[in-house]
Amino acid sequence: MSLMRDVVIALMPAVIVSVLFYGWSELLILAVSVASCVLLEWAITKWLLKKPCTVGDLSAVVTGLLLAMNLPSTTPWWVVVIGAVMAIGVAKMTFGGLGQNIFNPAITARVFLLISFPAIMTDWTVPQGFIQNVDAVSGATLLGIAGEKGALAVADVDMLNTFLLNIGGSAGEISALALLAGWVYLLVRKVIKPWITLSIFGTVAVIAAIFHLCNPEMFTGPVFNLLTGGIILGACFMATDYVTSPMSNWGGVVYGVGIGIVVMMIRYFGSYPEGMSFAILIMNCVVPLLNRWFHQRKYGRA
Amino acid sequence: MASKITFSIGGVHPADNKIARGRAIEVLPLPKTVYVSMAQHLGAPAKPLVAAGDSVRTGQVIAEPGGFISAFVHSPVTGTVKSIAPRKDLAGNLVTHIEIAVADEEVWAEGIDLTPGLVTELPSDVPAMLERIKANGVVGLGGATFPTHVKLNPGPNAHPECLILNGAECEPFLTSDFRIMVERPKEIVVGAAIMQKILGGCKCVIGIEENKPEAIEAMGKAVAELGYQGISVQPLKKRYPQGGEKQLIDAVMHRQVKSGALPISVGAVVQNVATSLAVYEAVQKNRPLITNTLTVTGDCLPVEKQHNYLFRIGVPLSFIAEYAGGIPEGAAKLVSGGPMMGRAIANIDACTVKGSSSILYLSEALTKRKPESNCIRCGKCADACPMGLEPFLLNRLYKAGDLGQLEDNAAQDCIECGCCLYSCPANIPLLDNIRQAKGQVMGVIRARAAAAKAAAEAAKNQ
Repeated sequence: MSLMRDVVIALMPAVIVSVLFYGWSELLILAVSVASCVLLEWAITKWLLKKPCTVGDLSAVVTGLLLAMNLPSTTPWWVVVIGAVMAIGVAKMTFGGLGQNIFNPAITARVFLLISFPAIMTDWTVPQGFIQNVDAVSGATLLGIAGEKGALAVADVDMLNTFLLNIGGSAGEISALALLAGWVYLLVRKVIKPWITLSIFGTVAVIAAIFHLCNPEMFTGPVFNLLTGGIILGACFMATDYVTSPMSNWGGVVYGVGIGIVVMMIRYFGSYPEGMSFAILIMNCVVPLLNRWFHQRKYGRA
Repeated sequence: MASKITFSIGGVHPADNKIARGRAIEVLPLPKTVYVSMAQHLGAPAKPLVAAGDSVRTGQVIAEPGGFISAFVHSPVTGTVKSIAPRKDLAGNLVTHIEIAVADEEVWAEGIDLTPGLVTELPSDVPAMLERIKANGVVGLGGATFPTHVKLNPGPNAHPECLILNGAECEPFLTSDFRIMVERPKEIVVGAAIMQKILGGCKCVIGIEENKPEAIEAMGKAVAELGYQGISVQPLKKRYPQGGEKQLIDAVMHRQVKSGALPISVGAVVQNVATSLAVYEAVQKNRPLITNTLTVTGDCLPVEKQHNYLFRIGVPLSFIAEYAGGIPEGAAKLVSGGPMMGRAIANIDACTVKGSSSILYLSEALTKRKPESNCIRCGKCADACPMGLEPFLLNRLYKAGDLGQLEDNAAQDCIECGCCLYSCPANIPLLDNIRQAKGQVMGVIRARAAAAKAAAEAAKNQ
């Protein structure tokens, strides 16, 4: 319970920044997402499972927040509700509820929506925010541009700006700084360990550096790849989900390297400009195997 | 002061609650009747040597070892044997006790030195020293009550390199080891020197946790003044279960005892500071182990009602509780030992034994189990386990009844320290389940060893 509360607190910087810049539209998505996740879990435990209600553990709130953070800020409310049904109803509760699911609920919902409503899920029109930002009403994401027109098209993007504020894309991707602040909070509170996140960052950086050095015109570089799209959101908050990530430190490193490889392959060679959700979902499948292969260091059994 | 060290895997940091630390040791008076257990050491119960109607003196042998791993038991009082009969112990199990009615006047058995002076000169005859430790019924007082003369005689093929004196006292609330280190440091150090000599002159490290600076200072001073070679005081970081034998060896020697092996396999012999005091008294004063120190403490007991008592074995716990002012109102659970590893007192009429260390009154806030929820695979239990086990996995395997996997995942290595239970955010009774699993796996291992032995013997006889 206190662990989940810490995750909610850690998400707050990114939530606040996204609301400030995406306005009422984003606030509505957040409200609908959290409310429908909590209500669904309550309804399922009460009427379908007939078990004690589990919404008090706040895990449905976390799923609701993460789902909202993974959607464009223009997503219609009914699509958000469908996402919540997918996340809580299918990905979480059918497997037995908290702690039993194989796939990360919020990611499962996002991928389901991306495949079902591709136009809505890639509509990057920027809604009116509470803080005016006229320049930013552009639309396409940097990754989208790079995927379509090649690495040169995004060669002169100011990376420091992207780090602080990255308008366009899913709501949670708006500020790398806000996400990393939340991640550091989770580390300080000892909610999570850094290995999964760092191995994702490291793998993405190494792969991007190699490809970029070989062909800078075609392949975007490591800094660009780390700061755009869902890498930071995914590496800090989605891949580190306790339930769907390996238990051991080395298992976590292998899992992180796997995510890094898959996401870069999708970005460079796949038909989607972004692949973080797919990468996490694919590596979720491998977690039971990693838990069998990698164990803690035992006393006197070296 | 040497820099602080600690063990390398797992561990937790519970609040230490050493409330009774400032309470000097008082001598507990004697009740009208004592009941001396025949099973107050690890191994075979002792065999009574007295009969009803016999009069006994304080310190006189009343029971002899019932096997190789067993110990002598001495009369803690002067009086008359009333009966030898089964009586309920702490957990409510029936154990043979010798009931002795206490006489008004105390007469000590012959040959026991009752003078207060410190004897620092070590005897030269090692077998004679071991014999005195055995004859005076000394057992390990750190919890396991393993017969000390057996542990100090590891055999001709063993190579003891380091005697570790355990003054960690990492269990919250307990202060008896702390008090003896502050009040009787020199006797403890002489005891250590005796054991050092028995083990062939290996070095001796006295490990004490940093939350006991007075003990570190007192023991350090005693070591310096007595001037024995190769004894040093090593401050340890505060971390539970530092006083676990395997953890202390890891902290002090940076070596790990293999699963199923004894500490001597890595050159270590670990003895508690209270055992060292008992060794001193046995060897230098020929005094049998009939007293020890016990803390009356708890979170629902004001400090002025907390005590450290020098008790005689065989005193009913109810007598001690009453003498100390009665069971406090807020007490929801009575524990003998510390809050992490101690045992619930199911029977307050049970009597003190050599290894008794506390009567601990815990409030409902500290003891009530919170409702269990789903495991979220956070891995906190695996991080906390000082043996590097994966409690979440063992718990799952136990529920599935998979003994083979439990053994492969080292359920038998569990030291039952309770770190997993303490760290679990879902309040899953991990230790309860793993303890059951460990018992079952140990049963399988023992059965296999017995079968292998039988097969080897059958092959030899053919």
